[in-house]
Amino acid sequence: MKAGPSQEEIRRHNLGTLLRFVHLRGPASRATLAETLGLNRSTIMALTSDLTAAGLVREELPRRPGRRAGRPSLVVQPESTRVYVLAFDVAVDRLAVARVGLGGTVLDRRETERPRGELDTGDLVGALAGAARALVRKAGRDAVCVGAALAFPGIVRRADDMIMFGPNLDVDGLSLGDALARRLGLGVPVAVRNDANLGALAEHERGAGVGCDDLIYLHGDVGVGGGIIVGGRLLGGQEGYGGEIGHMVVNPGGRPCACGSRGCLETEVGERTLLAHAERDGPGRPVGRDAVRAVVDAADRGDIVARDALHRVGTWLGFGVANLVNIFNPGMVVFGGTLRDIYLGSAAQVRSVLATGALAAPRERVRLRTAELGDDVTLVGAAEYAFAEVLADPVQVLARLRGPAETALR
Amino acid sequence: MNRPAGPGGRVCGPPVPAPAHPPRAANVSPVTPLLDLRGIDKSFGPVQVLHDVDFTARPGEVTALVGDNGAGKTTLVKCIGGVHQPDAGEYRFEGTPVRLGSPRDAAGLGIEVVHQDLALCENLDIVENMFLGRERSNGLALDEAAMEEQAARTLAALSVRTMGSVRRRVSDLSGGQRQTVAIARAVLWDSRVVVLDEPAAALGVAQTQQVLELVRRLADKGLAVVLISHNMNDVFAVSDQIAALYLGRMAAQVRTADVTHRQVVELITSGRSGDLGLRA
Repeated sequence: MKAGPSQEEIRRHNLGTLLRFVHLRGPASRATLAETLGLNRSTIMALTSDLTAAGLVREELPRRPGRRAGRPSLVVQPESTRVYVLAFDVAVDRLAVARVGLGGTVLDRRETERPRGELDTGDLVGALAGAARALVRKAGRDAVCVGAALAFPGIVRRADDMIMFGPNLDVDGLSLGDALARRLGLGVPVAVRNDANLGALAEHERGAGVGCDDLIYLHGDVGVGGGIIVGGRLLGGQEGYGGEIGHMVVNPGGRPCACGSRGCLETEVGERTLLAHAERDGPGRPVGRDAVRAVVDAADRGDIVARDALHRVGTWLGFGVANLVNIFNPGMVVFGGTLRDIYLGSAAQVRSVLATGALAAPRERVRLRTAELGDDVTLVGAAEYAFAEVLADPVQVLARLRGPAETALR
Repeated sequence: MNRPAGPGGRVCGPPVPAPAHPPRAANVSPVTPLLDLRGIDKSFGPVQVLHDVDFTARPGEVTALVGDNGAGKTTLVKCIGGVHQPDAGEYRFEGTPVRLGSPRDAAGLGIEVVHQDLALCENLDIVENMFLGRERSNGLALDEAAMEEQAARTLAALSVRTMGSVRRRVSDLSGGQRQTVAIARAVLWDSRVVVLDEPAAALGVAQTQQVLELVRRLADKGLAVVLISHNMNDVFAVSDQIAALYLGRMAAQVRTADVTHRQVVELITSGRSGDLGLRA
């Protein structure tokens, strides 16, 4: 039998818990922290002074005197400008890089359009690294990068962050994270994860799903991605490929999918299909988020072709959600990316299919919501992922990074 | 690469319970209704507009009120808001029977109605509109700083980021922003029930979507929200319950999760759908 946790483990865990609290929920007074974390005030004081010494938080007097009598409790704030991560988002037709401070503040960002289709790894790594370096240069002298993560619209192996397959990008067997980390030379690895998985984390930690430990996130870009959170943890499966909701077959013998199958959810509700139903496909016609939004807009104005397209897409989306509700009994299903617009434009259809297609018991309480983080959801997810290491062991990680990073950066 | 389990992962070892999330979405039913109207009748002279209407609204839920033009939606809302007094029936608030003599009585209970015309003053700014008629003063002068701060705090609590300065004049705002100001004004007073009469009627898609998300957030914060809408997508997108009026009678009040678009349309147009609705 394993002995209980050591003093050192308990301290590390408490440091992480306190830092995670101010990172996710914002500045909090020592009194609030003591109350919420269930620790006494002297422990809180010891923990905050350790974190302050490491440069992770600072303490300030509250701006306005509190209502309670007595000496006001100091407010613990995350050091947003001094401790940051780099978040990368590679979407099918755009790239985004952000420098995100502890506490989740987006300090700075770069975004560029990208032509669809061909993906030259060298160019991609160059563009991402260039943007990231520009962001790092603008950081303060004493700022330290504590992690980096990249959201990718494809299937990624958990063990080595290898991109195995991207249905809408030709990238099989690519070690994007390693290549990018080498080019950046910041002394931190670049984790690569599926974009919708990261979207699920973001909505769970900071968006519509705060407080809901069983949620499913559906992300619409060109295709459809998914992230499933069960009991507060992302469901990855054996190798981390899990949650590919977009490749759940809803219409056997339906439209052919880039993955080789037919009638996958993403082929029935994806951008190409919506535009085809709306008679807006073909060479030279606009594609992407704005084209999808234009269909929803036209439907709202009464365009019958656009309405019919949304109706058809909404039906398949309803079948997909009904299956998920039956299998996972989620407390919430969140629609993000272009699926936010598609859901709001076809909710009557989606929920009608759900009402008839899902079992009554799990259907009764499921909340259908749109992503609160909007178009930044995958970027925020990447940032949260990148913070994971420092939140797990704040003082050690910072001590390791402060030394070499100081010289490598300048 | 050996990385931690991700932000959702938990470190082993039991010493500290994970921080409790702030209370959010009040659990969906079965909650006692905040608003509970039973057997409401209302006539204007010889014309009976509401017949034996039952209607409930629960905290944490959006209850959509639907019906054709002239079905009695607006009259019911005016009864809820204290503008009209029902001729018969019972009005319960948190289980206690109440009589509302005026909109001021309704406001006293925490019931706010956002009418279609919004009733905002174009020549005043956002803060002045939000506190119109209920200005805060410190002694003789108006406490502008406190009002400005509370207005900003309310907008922030509703996750409204698209407004810019709270000192902008309403005449400079778009339709969606005006709607947002009207809704924020309704929730400023620790309201318990907010009734929205066609909030998205005159808006474009992008603004409609933002207003719908705002409506949903209000309910997720624990308010009872009543939403009148003609747009079935909007109704299905955000509601937990649908109450369908047909010629002054409540055809049915049903859980949104249990019905289809077609059933709701049938309830609106013929008062019944299969087992649901009024008996022939």
